[in-house]
Amino acid sequence: MSIIDEILGEKDVEKIRKETEENYREYVNPFAMRMLKNASLDIIEGKREGASVWDISGEKYIDCVTGAGIFNVGRHNPEVVEALKKALDTYDMGGWISIVRERGLLAKKLAEITPGNLKYSLFCCGGGEAIEVAIKLARGHTDKPEIICMNNGYHGVTGFALPATGRDVYKKPFAPLTPGYVHVQYNDLKAVEEAITEETAAVMLEPIQGEGGIIPADDEYLRGLRELCDKNDMLLIFDEVQTAFGRTGKMFCAEHSGVTPDIMVMAKALSGGLYPISAAIFTEEISDFLMTHPFIIINSFGGTSLACLVSLAAIEYLEKNDLPAHAEKMGKRFLKGLATLKDKYPDLILDVRGKGLMLGIEFPEDSIGPRMSYQLRHNGVISIYTFNNPRIIRIMPTLVIKEEEVDFVLDAFDKSLAEIAKQEAKNS
Amino acid sequence: MATSDEIMEALQDFTEQCNNNKRLRRMQRDWTKKLHYVAVDTKDTFSMDVIEGEIVKTAAGTEGTPDIIVEADSETMCDMFWGDINPTQKYLKGEIKVKGTQEDVMRIDAITAVIWPDV
Repeated sequence: MSIIDEILGEKDVEKIRKETEENYREYVNPFAMRMLKNASLDIIEGKREGASVWDISGEKYIDCVTGAGIFNVGRHNPEVVEALKKALDTYDMGGWISIVRERGLLAKKLAEITPGNLKYSLFCCGGGEAIEVAIKLARGHTDKPEIICMNNGYHGVTGFALPATGRDVYKKPFAPLTPGYVHVQYNDLKAVEEAITEETAAVMLEPIQGEGGIIPADDEYLRGLRELCDKNDMLLIFDEVQTAFGRTGKMFCAEHSGVTPDIMVMAKALSGGLYPISAAIFTEEISDFLMTHPFIIINSFGGTSLACLVSLAAIEYLEKNDLPAHAEKMGKRFLKGLATLKDKYPDLILDVRGKGLMLGIEFPEDSIGPRMSYQLRHNGVISIYTFNNPRIIRIMPTLVIKEEEVDFVLDAFDKSLAEIAKQEAKNS
Repeated sequence: MATSDEIMEALQDFTEQCNNNKRLRRMQRDWTKKLHYVAVDTKDTFSMDVIEGEIVKTAAGTEGTPDIIVEADSETMCDMFWGDINPTQKYLKGEIKVKGTQEDVMRIDAITAVIWPDV
């Protein structure tokens, strides 16, 4: 019997809730626990299935956070779970110095499905770590130190990734940081052009800024960046940690613009929502650096047998069910519904935007994002504002979300907006 | 409805609690802000200057440009400074308005969590 069955079967939800909250307060993070409780986001996850999560009390929610794009194939996808179970019967993680067959199979698959000439993969465990690989490759390949990054961008909080993140709040307490990063305005080609020096190795950006507030890069801007990089012997790095694997309506967000980066970073959904893995995939040209330093970027747990088999199963599921196309269709349904809500609540919704199932709703002031999360929880939807921009609530459900579930979320937004409108009227 | 004097009394008690709490002072040592408080029903205003985690000035009325503006009715404001309510929950219900950055809202939440952990 699993712990979830046991909890639900014993009907001692309050006992488990109290124990979990106490453990969080005493041994995990008391302030985070308090904040989640205050924000009414203290959902203790029990059953997970499809687009939904059940609190241990049995309350069902549509998950519109999904760890910012981890669960593209659905929560606890049975086919991916089966692949992991099968893998566990035969394999352990595999040695990092050994030749692991599954690692080769996944690398080949990634080369097949990524756009352009992206070919070789270096595997790691998390998004920040894969960003570090991309930066090391760019510096190693070009023998130049500077990386041009974007204001408001988010690339993780590890050593080489943190300075690339475009917001001081993440960086200030940890100074001094690794030098060599220049930040410019997103979607501004001229700003990049002006920042280029003889020391510039690469330009790195998210094709849609996620934490920054769901801001898509213009196709023309991306094409301009590609030209600038080619002209100035610099590399173009796409951080597709949140946008990859069907999230935006294409397998990779880069496909919308037709621009292929020299290095693409992926994580989150590569895990199938079950086993941590991330990767930086790069062109043959860049691999020259690794020819002379084949073991200079290594780790113990990147691309384990279990992780690779899970990734392969998740990609197979995405392809078999054409989830990128489904994401595009459901995204359009969301956008249509949100446009109606924008007309209904013109003082509360400033903008709705995004691609596929990576959508953002912008409100006129910071407080409304957290307040909407609070209301949405009480209307059956788990949501969160973007940390870089609390005016934006993100909608990033699993890609297996059904039409009726999209409509449920839209109805929850309607009810939540009505409540906020009532509060605003009372306070004005 | 709370009077201006009642709010000021609560604000001074709050100030004393903050400044006497060593843990809080250490936690907020990088926080320098000017806060304005507005009681929306009585139109009374108050100000608070925080320098590196220490409240160096509280006063009735406002001066200068604030980093953060907190708005609530006078009763809620009084309750907030006495620790009789959970201000974050009131904020999320729209009963307390905070104009400032989300980081500052989180700082205010952390301050109340240290002073009144059970509220």
